Amino acid sequence: MTVNNRPKSGPLVSVLISTYNRPGYVRQAVASILRQTYTNFEIILVRDGGRPVGDIVGQFGDRRLIFIDRDTNRGLPYSFNEALSRAKGRYVTYLGDDDIYYPNHIEVLVDALKGRDQYGVAYSDLYKVNCRVTEDGRRVVLSKNVEISRDFSRMTMLRFNHTLHVSLIHDRLLLERAGGYNEDLNVLVDWDLTRKLVFYTDFLHVPTITGEFYAPVPVDSEQTRYATPAGDCDRISVKRRADVSEFIRNMLTIRSTRPPKPWPKVGDMSLIVLTERLDYATEETLRDIWSHTFYPCRIYLPMPREDLSRLRTVVPNILGVPVSADSSDTEKVDAALECCDGDYVAIVPRDFEVGSEDMPWIESALNPLMNCEDPNQAFELPASSSLCWSAVFRREQLKRARRLGPHLGLIESVLSAGIRLRKPAVEEYPLQFDNLMTGAQEIEKMGDWARVAEVFEYLERNYQNELWMKTRWANALYHAGRYENAVRIVGQVNSKRPTVSTLLMEARARRKKEDIDGAIHLLEKARQVLEGSELAWTL
Amino acid sequence: MDIVKQTNIPETGWTQHYDVLRELGDCYVSVGEYDKARECYDEAVGLAPDEAAPYIGFGVIAMQTGELADAETAFKVARRLDPKCSKAYCGLAMICQNRSDAAGAFDLYLKSLETDSDNLTALLGLFQLSCAMGSFSKVIYYLEIYLDAHPGDITVMFCLATLHLKDKQPHKARELLLNILALDANNKDASDLLEEAEHILAQECRS
Repeated sequence: MTVNNRPKSGPLVSVLISTYNRPGYVRQAVASILRQTYTNFEIILVRDGGRPVGDIVGQFGDRRLIFIDRDTNRGLPYSFNEALSRAKGRYVTYLGDDDIYYPNHIEVLVDALKGRDQYGVAYSDLYKVNCRVTEDGRRVVLSKNVEISRDFSRMTMLRFNHTLHVSLIHDRLLLERAGGYNEDLNVLVDWDLTRKLVFYTDFLHVPTITGEFYAPVPVDSEQTRYATPAGDCDRISVKRRADVSEFIRNMLTIRSTRPPKPWPKVGDMSLIVLTERLDYATEETLRDIWSHTFYPCRIYLPMPREDLSRLRTVVPNILGVPVSADSSDTEKVDAALECCDGDYVAIVPRDFEVGSEDMPWIESALNPLMNCEDPNQAFELPASSSLCWSAVFRREQLKRARRLGPHLGLIESVLSAGIRLRKPAVEEYPLQFDNLMTGAQEIEKMGDWARVAEVFEYLERNYQNELWMKTRWANALYHAGRYENAVRIVGQVNSKRPTVSTLLMEARARRKKEDIDGAIHLLEKARQVLEGSELAWTL
Repeated sequence: MDIVKQTNIPETGWTQHYDVLRELGDCYVSVGEYDKARECYDEAVGLAPDEAAPYIGFGVIAMQTGELADAETAFKVARRLDPKCSKAYCGLAMICQNRSDAAGAFDLYLKSLETDSDNLTALLGLFQLSCAMGSFSKVIYYLEIYLDAHPGDITVMFCLATLHLKDKQPHKARELLLNILALDANNKDASDLLEEAEHILAQECRS
């Protein structure tokens, strides 16, 4: 952590905090903002019901602190929208009422965005602090880990969140453009934000640790002290996820959200579903598409008018396209193409097998199309067959084919327009990095550490996430008994962004090489971080 | 769905703080900085009062500073907290050995190896005792188990060769010593013992 005592200023930053029943911790949270090396900020603190905190706010006596005192608990999205309506900053950041910023937090993020107009969002790394809470509310630190430190990937962000809310800074106007927070949500509120922002801007990952968020270990479970690193904790956001149906409702709402256009960073997809009639199977297909598609799309349903009038579905983003009852599939596609405004067009028959939850389906063909520079290439879906044919095109490509051969069948017109169709190779599927990671974890379970080391070396050389991959690579080398190499690789991580776990790893490898003094030096650094001597400024 | 956790990053369990302190304590013991080590172990006990390892650390420090009674207490606490703690039995065995209670030490070393056949300190302690007591078979058994797991460990190979020779098995000793010399041609101890083994084998042939 870089602590720079020289006050720094620049554009105004609005820091938003919502608090509910945590007067003890919110004092620390606000204090950590007031100790920032970057000084041009305003804090908008919302009491979202719960115990009063007015006295605490008064004690700070800082004119930069704006206090919204509300007795009714309305939830995070409402509170953030309320705070945003008062915010004047060019940038917005967030802090949980039980979390803290390190003094460098705002400075690091503002500096990262300076002169880089393509980025409207930046995010840093945070320690997740597992702690035991004593009866007097003191937090005993059990571990500090950087659990999320992932370079930006738009396709990944459309599928799941890979940033932490507290680590973000974003242009305030971007969120206004996206429509603010969705007040119908009660979990995954941060993913709703980041997913909407990817339509408008690139994100910049700054791999510097700039704060801590706290995860209390359940008090009633002594065994969980030894649980896996990802073991659940007592955070409110974790507890709320226990209601699976609510979780799924929130997730599908977020995935179906189409923020206001234009979308400079995401191409829209129009998905044409071909069906004979409105029946149970059609409705089932629509539900499957809704629950399995993570890429933003609108569904076009060419169907006779009387069927469309009977359509009652919870599936959002469906547009009925009236056609006559005796229309062929090709005529239905032509009718839908007249209304489509997507950059990409997918054609899916009613009986198409959408697939399993974990595998991208339509995105497997869409991803290579998006990455392909050949204007005459289109892709069939992996599960497409002559009996149940499905493919993804660029809209202009397909329109051209239909213009050139309006009397031909769909596939014939495509081929006669010189468009080549093929299924994507596995390595063209999206989320390759995650697939390889899953493979590496399987090899880890088998204990073949030499092979695991090779996989992580490959990932480090060919994908993003240098520090994360080097950490895993060094860990594999250590377990394979290659201590010299483990020290070299984890040493590179520690020279850039040491964490408790990487310091401990290097110390253990050095001990194996009988470099005890080196190990002591590293372990003392790890201890300092764990015991917070770098945080002596907190209240 | 929302956050992809980078699980399996090493050393991230909830015992991490405790692990750092214990490890640091062990390092300070290795360089003889006992006060700093004690401070680390004290803190580790505060974080994980049911863990045996810091008490092993206290025991080792007390042994090093000649406070055998304190060492015994610490090792007994460790044994109570973890009845399968090999190091606790090993520490208690060393105390017995120090008090010239060879039989007690022998049993405790065996107990230590029953819970962890990889405990080299117990293995070497047992080897020393068995040479003095003339009881070889159990020790040979554990040395062989250890060598199965660590095939190239020259120190243990040499101990085993010595015991084979004492146990009147010169051909087995010879084979092991040849293996040692294949790994380390300049090993003077091994070549001296090999000479002795071959002398015995030659005498056996003659008779």
